[in-house]
Amino acid sequence: MTELALRLPASRSQRLWRLLPKLSGTLFALLIAAVWLGPILLMVITSIKSNADFLAGPFSLPSSPTFKPYVDVWSGLGFDHLLWNSLVYASLGSALAVLLGLIPAFALARFPVPGKKLIFGVLLTGLMLPQQTVLIPLYDTLRAMHLLDTRIGLIIVHGVYGMPMQILALRAFMTTIPREIEKAAHLEGATDWQVFWQIILPLSVPGILVGYTLNFIAIWKEFVFGLVFLNSEANFPLTVGMLKLNSDRYISVFNLPAAGLVISQIPIAILFLLTYRKLSGGNFVGAVKG
Amino acid sequence: MAAVELIKVNKRYGGTQVIADLNLDIADGEFTVLVGPSGCGKSTTLQMVAGLESISGGQLLIGGRDVTDLPPKSRDISMVFQSYALFPHMTVQDNIAYGLKLRKVAKDDIARQVGDVSKRLHIDKFLDRLPKALSGGQRQRVALARAVVRRPGVFLMDEPLSNLDAKLRVEARSFLVKMHHELRTTTIYVTHDQAEAMTMGSKIVVMSEGVIQQAAAPLVVYNAPANRFVAGFIGSPAMNFIELNYADGHVIDAECGIRLAVPEPKRAALDRRAVARVVMGVRPEHFHVRPRDDRALVPPGSCWTIDVRQHLGHGTLLDIRNGPHRAVARSGADDDTLDDEVRSFAIDMDKAHFFDVASGLNLAL
Repeated sequence: MTELALRLPASRSQRLWRLLPKLSGTLFALLIAAVWLGPILLMVITSIKSNADFLAGPFSLPSSPTFKPYVDVWSGLGFDHLLWNSLVYASLGSALAVLLGLIPAFALARFPVPGKKLIFGVLLTGLMLPQQTVLIPLYDTLRAMHLLDTRIGLIIVHGVYGMPMQILALRAFMTTIPREIEKAAHLEGATDWQVFWQIILPLSVPGILVGYTLNFIAIWKEFVFGLVFLNSEANFPLTVGMLKLNSDRYISVFNLPAAGLVISQIPIAILFLLTYRKLSGGNFVGAVKG
Repeated sequence: MAAVELIKVNKRYGGTQVIADLNLDIADGEFTVLVGPSGCGKSTTLQMVAGLESISGGQLLIGGRDVTDLPPKSRDISMVFQSYALFPHMTVQDNIAYGLKLRKVAKDDIARQVGDVSKRLHIDKFLDRLPKALSGGQRQRVALARAVVRRPGVFLMDEPLSNLDAKLRVEARSFLVKMHHELRTTTIYVTHDQAEAMTMGSKIVVMSEGVIQQAAAPLVVYNAPANRFVAGFIGSPAMNFIELNYADGHVIDAECGIRLAVPEPKRAALDRRAVARVVMGVRPEHFHVRPRDDRALVPPGSCWTIDVRQHLGHGTLLDIRNGPHRAVARSGADDDTLDDEVRSFAIDMDKAHFFDVASGLNLAL
């Protein structure tokens, strides 16, 4: 009995020592989450406060929660139109980027393309170019093609600008598809095009979805191209349209930009929820080995 | 069905010669097994026949037609891969029918042929499933069905059983042999498993370092190996090799008290070649442990110390030694030997082989 009683506290402290790394890890994760979630929470809280309520205490909880800022920002800015524009740019721009990237990615993943290294270098350079450096040449090109201040112009810009990333991402994904599947298709009588269309493309859906989603988010958040290449309010995406919230008219209003930001993030959250399962992969199960 | 001929086929990767002047005739309807250790060039040879690897030199004929530079789809072949290589996004039905669809076979015919082959391979209940919903054995049969359904001239199989567990492998082995008996399609089968090669092939092609060491019927390869490599590779446990002097029609190691008479006609072959030293090859089953009281019959020099005994149930393997010589002997299930016991062994000299010390060639062939 005595021995047992003596041993108990020691084992408890041992257990604590063993839990310590786990506990500190959890605490660290919570801290990081707080840093990330804090501003988002503040944005959501601000969006359901009246402006006076916000000015009385920017970090306090709303005294009487209201959705009026949402109604005001929706009708005041024509949010439905801005949302639609952003949706068009993001969905079609990403689709174009993926379409442009698919065949080069397949070629780079599976064929002995001459100058492969050089092509990779050029693609990586394309990724590293800051947007600002291509503004003037793109502006000139769009003007020459009479595509300035048009939706199709901005879609093409987004598509081309997103293509290098898509090629690299899709190529990386396609190289993970077991080569034997492709060989089996060739042996069954498939041409290169049939292998691409009937085998590689369906198997690349998770990769395509990842690339598409990331590009969609990038275009959704994009501001500079929209600002420089568009003049008509009717063509503005959300990011450019919301600039109005910083204009003199709303200079001291904080709840409206917050409500606008919350609305603007909803489509991204929906897209992520829709694609999350596909993004987690597991597509080749059953293809090879037992 | 079609015969396959490889004529002076070479394969080079850069400056490295992987296959050198390989000549092989595979008769129409023959089940040929390419066997050898990893890196011996057997899979490369198969891939060249399939058209998945280019041929650096030489000629490949299938059904008398030169297909050396033709793409896989024009060679009238089908292949079962080690990993099955099923299309994971297609149902079993679509996997099997894929080649037929590409050849624009009528839908009714596709349905009938897929139905026939899936029934024969007992996968007709899984036709609407995806490969991921099947077990390893079922996937392997789907891969076979995909290869069979087109009725190609030649089946190529690249270690198709190596991902199955031991029990399934034995079942699948006899299933494949039965299927070959039914279809009589020329088959080239690659394996590193000599037991598979022995049990399945009507011809075994033993390869090493890109060169065919011997191509013959399984029992010929087993009983008359062309060289020491073949002798050591085919058979389990492997053949024992004992290096001895040769004089007066006897193999001798005086220090170990070994002096064994070489029977005719092997003796004549050794005399003709005037060798002074040979490597004697003896399979484990040709070592016979003598009863303890059978001293009178013991020829001089056949006393061996027992190091380890491995009981297999149906028999016993004995690791034995005599001076620098080590060997494995196969004894019966009722083996009565003891660890570290010195026992006399008779060697069935009619079944012994004699190899050249330097070249490893079988001196009696």
